[in-house]
Amino acid sequence: MIQRKLTLVMENKPGALARVVGLFHQRGYNIDSLHVDPIEDFEPFRFIEDELGIKFQVGEVSRLTIQTTVGDKLMRQILRQINKLIEVIAVSDDENTYLKGILRNENLL
Amino acid sequence: MKIAGNDILIQSLINEGVEYIFGYPGGAALHIYDAIFNQKEMQHILVRHEQGATHAADGYARATGKPGVVLVTSGPGATNAITGIATAFMDSIPMVVISGQVQSHLIGTDAFQETDMIGVSRPIVKHSFTVDKQENIAQIVKEAFHIATSGRQGPVVIDVPKDITNPDELFDFNYPDKANIRSYNPPVKPENHQVSRAVDAILTAERPVIYAGGGTISSNASNELRELNELIDFPVTNTLMGLGVYPGTGKRFLGMLGMHGTYQANMAMHNADLIIAVGARFDDRITNTPEKFAPKAKVIHFDVDHSSVSKIIEADIAVFGQVKDSLQAINNHLRSRKDEINKEKLSPWHQQISEWREMHGLDHQLYKNNSDEHPILPQAAVQHIYQESEGKAFVTSDVGQHQMFAAQYYHFDEPRKWINSGGLGTMGFGLPSAMGVKLAYPEEEVICITGEGSIQMCIQELSTCSQYKLPIKIFSINNLALGMVKQWQDMNYEGRHSSISYEDSLPDFVGLAESYGHVGIKITKNSELREGIAKALAIKDKLVFVDIYVDPNEHVYPMLVAPNGSLKDMWLGKGEKT
Repeated sequence: MIQRKLTLVMENKPGALARVVGLFHQRGYNIDSLHVDPIEDFEPFRFIEDELGIKFQVGEVSRLTIQTTVGDKLMRQILRQINKLIEVIAVSDDENTYLKGILRNENLL
Repeated sequence: MKIAGNDILIQSLINEGVEYIFGYPGGAALHIYDAIFNQKEMQHILVRHEQGATHAADGYARATGKPGVVLVTSGPGATNAITGIATAFMDSIPMVVISGQVQSHLIGTDAFQETDMIGVSRPIVKHSFTVDKQENIAQIVKEAFHIATSGRQGPVVIDVPKDITNPDELFDFNYPDKANIRSYNPPVKPENHQVSRAVDAILTAERPVIYAGGGTISSNASNELRELNELIDFPVTNTLMGLGVYPGTGKRFLGMLGMHGTYQANMAMHNADLIIAVGARFDDRITNTPEKFAPKAKVIHFDVDHSSVSKIIEADIAVFGQVKDSLQAINNHLRSRKDEINKEKLSPWHQQISEWREMHGLDHQLYKNNSDEHPILPQAAVQHIYQESEGKAFVTSDVGQHQMFAAQYYHFDEPRKWINSGGLGTMGFGLPSAMGVKLAYPEEEVICITGEGSIQMCIQELSTCSQYKLPIKIFSINNLALGMVKQWQDMNYEGRHSSISYEDSLPDFVGLAESYGHVGIKITKNSELREGIAKALAIKDKLVFVDIYVDPNEHVYPMLVAPNGSLKDMWLGKGEKT
């Protein structure tokens, strides 16, 4: 078990954060730390805009970083469960990224 | 054209093709009910309890493949719907639940009948929406139906504050053609390299099993599964949720697997060298102890949900996408390599399975013994129902021993005919879900196989059946106790029967049914069994409640040995283990 970091890009909508936090409790995972803020500098996320053919507006999306202490298999499961949340646009751990539901074997965030 | 929020909501549902909406009115939903009153396209079914509304919508959805739609008021209306929403969530059933909410300015003030429905339902929905303004109603409804019916299906809640449906404020209404949700993109087609790896494994297997579950039914992939097996001739087992997706009377069918699966199905899984999991999720009622599950098997897993694959059992080959598309791709690929398919190679395996079936398979001839020296066996009751309905009925069930007997002894040849709460195991599901099925298919035989325990959990819906003239046939397997709990107490608690009997407080079910205007039949002897069931099925225009008194000491077997057992460790009878 090691501490790992997850990064999410998600729609900044009411209740969206509660879905992520609720998922951790519901599935029996633990959150060591959590940080969330609206994305203001879109430069590192241009590839998402290109991929989806959209343009983010200020205030529309948030970045979450979550630290959690788990083993490999559980980490993969957490990533996949978070990816299922409808408002999550992209989620990464150290090795993988789900971008709008599609798996990429690298950390893009 | 400008219309009010309540009409926008109802017109949006009509645009989605909704025929029935199951619900119960109340303060926060009154504007919506007024809009229902003013239209003719969609029929509202007034249930007697919101749990009944959700199960009825669920039954409708399972039988038709179309989403079930529910309307409840705020507070207790919403919380009463929760069990039905959780039931649909666990079995991935498409459903849209509209809950009234107190007026926007009252939210958070502990107003009368206020409950945070979004918060309460969050862990048991695929997604949920709060409508923030009238201009967004149509788009939210469109998105809710899209989410409920695509990818891995599931229930979606739309919480609607009362002021949003105020009839006095008018807005433009244009129903959108499609939902564009930029963050939602469920996989559709599988990737080629996954398909060819799966085919390689299929072609080299010597002891394969196809293990198909409810996802195969949701994806309407029954024909593709049957085509696949015409090509490769593998043994097939179904989960409780998958029954009917492959013909129950088919030569290669092993029966259900898992906790109360057949001996041959569990043995085949345990000894397999290849397991092809199709729309199934390896839950704990299937795997027994995961570390001991099918030790020699390579696993191919077809699923639309990434998170289901390698969650419990590690998949060697994962094929993501709608199961229907994935099976089509596999079938096409196999046809192009037809000369490599060697069915002969499988004969020792088929032979081994026949031996297992001979040794400890289920006895499908029990119903032929009609002697009154013995009490009625619950299995025989189900066999008679199967015979007399010619295996063609829609069968809903509740939860417990009767459910397992129905799954074991009613052989479904078509998908969507077997309607039961597999994941959540919800008692009270059987009768209301049968109402949804009967409304969808009024000309078809709809049977509810239940128990005297489960039926009492939603028995108020007998009144709804009377109001809408739903001639469902209810067969209550009455063993005077909570049979499955009693079985566990017999097996694990040295027969200490804690809180499983009702003493002498059961109602006269025949008289109860008659008081609602239905027909009641009581059967207590083997010699009356066939005739009584046939008589019930011959009554076409009325609901018939058949109260069948069975052996109160019967157990369901086989039963997996737990904890720490594998799939080959089974109880085969009282005191008899593999």
